[in-house]
Amino acid sequence: MKHTLFLLVITTWLILFLAPPCAAVTQSTPEDKQTVSSSDDASGKEMEKAVDDTPASPYDDDEYGDDEYDYEDEPFSEERVTIDDPLEPVNRVANIFNDRMYFWVLKPVAQAYKFVAPEPARISVKNFFFHLGYPARFLNCLLQTDFAGAGEETGRFVINTIWGIGGLMDPAAGEKINLQKQDTDLGETLGVYGVGHGFYIVWPVFGPSSTRDSATFIDRHLLYPTSYFCPWYASTALTAFDYVNSASLRIGEYESLIGAAIDPYTAMRNAYVQYRLKSVKARRARSLLFRENEIRPSVTK
Amino acid sequence: MKKQLTGIIFVFLLMVFHTHVHAGGMFGPPQTLSSTTGGLNTAIGFRYYTDTYKNHMHYKVRQNIIYSHAAWGKAGIWEIYARLAAAEMKMFDVFRFGSTVYGNGENDFRDTWQFMGTAGAKVFYPVNSFFGAGLFVQGNFNPGKYSDETPLLYNGSPLVADLKIKNLWDINFGGGLQLTLPYDIRAYAGPFVYLARADVRSSLNVPGLLFGTEKTVLKNRSPVGGYFGADIPLIRGFRLNIEGQYTDSFSAGAAIAYIY
Repeated sequence: MKHTLFLLVITTWLILFLAPPCAAVTQSTPEDKQTVSSSDDASGKEMEKAVDDTPASPYDDDEYGDDEYDYEDEPFSEERVTIDDPLEPVNRVANIFNDRMYFWVLKPVAQAYKFVAPEPARISVKNFFFHLGYPARFLNCLLQTDFAGAGEETGRFVINTIWGIGGLMDPAAGEKINLQKQDTDLGETLGVYGVGHGFYIVWPVFGPSSTRDSATFIDRHLLYPTSYFCPWYASTALTAFDYVNSASLRIGEYESLIGAAIDPYTAMRNAYVQYRLKSVKARRARSLLFRENEIRPSVTK
Repeated sequence: MKKQLTGIIFVFLLMVFHTHVHAGGMFGPPQTLSSTTGGLNTAIGFRYYTDTYKNHMHYKVRQNIIYSHAAWGKAGIWEIYARLAAAEMKMFDVFRFGSTVYGNGENDFRDTWQFMGTAGAKVFYPVNSFFGAGLFVQGNFNPGKYSDETPLLYNGSPLVADLKIKNLWDINFGGGLQLTLPYDIRAYAGPFVYLARADVRSSLNVPGLLFGTEKTVLKNRSPVGGYFGADIPLIRGFRLNIEGQYTDSFSAGAAIAYIY
C-alpha cells in the first residue's frame, strides 16, 4: 500500500517533470513579461528571467553596471519571483483541499495536542524527527559539494544523539557548540545544480511544491528511517504525528499569511517560491563547486 | 535495507564510543553540574564493574556497562537524574561440577547486552566556594534476563544446563566531600553503603551443579565501599568525569557530560 503510493507519487513526478517545461513557457503571459536567457550560465542550462516591459529607468545605465539588482533607490519596488503555473486550476482545488484539511482536521487536532503536551516536549519531538532526517541532509550536503555542511551535520548528529538524548534535545545548535542545522533536500540539490523550479504544484496533504522540489519525496522516502517501519500504517502514523506536532508549534502562521492576502493562493505560491529561491541561493553559496557559477534566478521587477 | 541501515548506525556508534562502554553506577561529583539557574546536563558514560556476590559460595561478577545520563539540577545544591544503560555480564566459575558431572563447556557464565535503568538524586551543601559536602541515593535495576547454557554429561547422558540470572538490582546511599580546584576541577571522595541482589535459577537439578531449579538469591558480599573521582572541564560546555569505586573489588568508569 505504502509502496504503491510512493510509486504513484514518483511516477506522477516523473511525468510532470519530464513533460511540461515548454507548456509552462507558453502559458506564461507574454504581455507582462519577456523571457530572456541568463548570460552567465556557465553550465549551459537556461534559466528564465522575466523583467518588466516598462521603459528603462534612469538608473538602468548607471556606472556600476548592476542595474538588474540595484533597487535601493526605488523605495517602492520589490524583488518578486515568479513561477509558471500551468496547473493553476488543479492547484487551486488542491489548495482548497489543503486549506480545509488544515482548518477542519489538522488545526483542531494540533490545538488539542498543544493543550495536552507542554511546549518543551513538543520542541523535543520536533528535534527528534528532524534528527532522523540526518541521512538525507548529509547526502544532499555531499551532493551539493558542501563538505563543511556535511561535517557539521555529522557533528550535530553525533552530539545530539549522545548528549541530546537521542536527538530530543539540540545542544549542537547552542551557543557553546554552534553547529547550525543544514536543512536541505534533493530539491535544493537540483537547484544548486542549476535546475529551475519547473512549475508550481500543490500536492494534496503535502502542500506547495514544484516539479523540481517534488524530487524531495524521493530522499524523504528512501533516506528517512521511519519509512522502513512495518506495518505501513506505523510509518504513516509517525508521519502524521510529526505533522501534528509541527503544526502545534506554528498555529497562527498560516492564518496570518492568508489573512493578509487578497488571494491566498497567490500569496502562498509567492511565499513558497521566494523561500525556495533564497534557500537554493544560500545552499549554492556554501557549495565548493557551484558557488563560482552563480546562476541568476528568475526575477521580475 | 533496514537491517543495513541499523548496522551502519550501530557500527558508527561503536566507532564513536571506541567500542567499550560501562553501566549503571557511577555516582559523580556531589555537586550538580547544571547551571545555578536550573538546567539540564546529559552524559554518555562507560563503567567497568566488578563485585563479589554470595549465597553459600562466592561468585565474582563483572559487567561492562554503557549508559546515557540525563540530569536536572538547580542552584548548585540539588539534582535528580536518570540513566538508560546497556550492560553485558560475566559470572566466573558458576558452571563447575562435582564428581558425578562432567562439563565440557566453559566454566564462566556470560551473556550479552541487556538494558538497565538507573535513577538517583543528590544534594550538596557548599561550605565555601572551595569545599562542600553532599549526599546521594542511587538505584539500578536490570529488568532483563541474562542467560547462558553449558553442555554436560550426567551418568553418561548428554544434557544442557541453562542458567538464568534475573532481577538484578542494587541501591546505594552515600556521602561525599568535594574540593573545587583551580580551573574548576572538582575532586571528590566518600563512602557509601549498598545492597545488591540477583536471582539465579538453573533448568536442571543435577547433583554437582551449583544452582538448581529452585531460585537462589545472591547478595553482595561487602555492604560498604568507597569512591573517589574528578570532574574536569573540557571545551564548549563539556566535562569529563572519571571515577573509581572499591567494594569487594575495584570498579572504574568515565563519562563525558554536556551542560546546557
